[in-house]
Amino acid sequence: MADLLVIVPALNEEGAIAGVVAATSEALSAQVVVVDDGSTDGTGAAARAAGAIVLRHAFNLGVGAAVRTGLRYAVEHGYETVLQLDGDGQHDPDEASLLLRRLERGDVDVVVGSRFEHGYALAPARRTVMRLLSSIVSRRLGTRITDTTSGFRAFGGPAVEYFSRVYPSEYLSDTVEALLLAADAGLRVTEIPIHMRRRETGTASTNPVTATFHVVRLLLVVAVHRARVSPGAGPATAPAPAPPKVEVG
Amino acid sequence: MRRLDVFILVVALLNVAVMLELVRRRQLREKYALLWISVGIGGIVVGLGRTVIDRVATSLGVAYGPSVVFLGAILFLLLVCMHLSWEVSRLEERTRILAEELALLRGGQEAGGEGRRPRIAATTPEGRIAGKA
Repeated sequence: MADLLVIVPALNEEGAIAGVVAATSEALSAQVVVVDDGSTDGTGAAARAAGAIVLRHAFNLGVGAAVRTGLRYAVEHGYETVLQLDGDGQHDPDEASLLLRRLERGDVDVVVGSRFEHGYALAPARRTVMRLLSSIVSRRLGTRITDTTSGFRAFGGPAVEYFSRVYPSEYLSDTVEALLLAADAGLRVTEIPIHMRRRETGTASTNPVTATFHVVRLLLVVAVHRARVSPGAGPATAPAPAPPKVEVG
Repeated sequence: MRRLDVFILVVALLNVAVMLELVRRRQLREKYALLWISVGIGGIVVGLGRTVIDRVATSLGVAYGPSVVFLGAILFLLLVCMHLSWEVSRLEERTRILAEELALLRGGQEAGGEGRRPRIAATTPEGRIAGKA
């Protein structure tokens, strides 16, 4: 697909990133952009060697910021569809085509890959938070979203340009608040079930204290969202005088 | 309710309201808003029941209640100042890195295709300040 750009946010995924890039390019025959979010290992070099375009943040800014950088790249280079998947190999590139096919039907602008319909055990505290977020987001969107924090998503239509301006950069906001922003803009969102794979390498970043802080912060965000001004303060992504689009192969 | 209680309550509520308004306008990151909102909530608690202070003072073995408030306030503000110093240091470091990257990019652009191709750094020069936002 010439109009498809795959965005892979990655932080210190030296061991997994090459496999993810290779598998994704093979499964989708699309351009892959790895946004290296200030890794301190060889993530960028490994991704480049595997054939990806690498955009490197000078320091760590968070997954949301990485996705946003990728979305701005997509807009500046005229890509109309964007697929986002994690750089740790947990998302199966073969399932990406499910998200894209759902998007191609044309009745939605954002497709979220959900881990929960195929069963995904969570600790009780986390499950409660996820259920709460799910009910708030679902009510706002008018459609059921069970996995509000999934980082396996496809964006099409007006979603790419819109999110390149407003995508939230703070941890958890990038997924949950983004869905609320989608509702504000009248974007149509849906969810389809996906499978999660085990992490290939690296470690998940969860520490109970910071996790609690982030959840409290997110609850504040969700609570005040309706009253807030829209975030469109980002830099104007002027439709650049179309630089030549890079094709795979 | 005495006049002092009303005064404390009004100040605390104003504090919370201003913070929420700044969040609403997206002019304050939520983490700082949470900090000052919790201070405001503390103020509301004290405003509603000032005896809380005396009870805390007694349990700490302090004879004069209000001095506990001053001790707590000074320690808290000291911590906040230290945290902000740390944040400013981190931001200065990040600004420096950005200026360097910009200089290198500009230099590369001006050189155009001529000269040696730069070796693209595989890692970030940030290891030392890798604290997450």
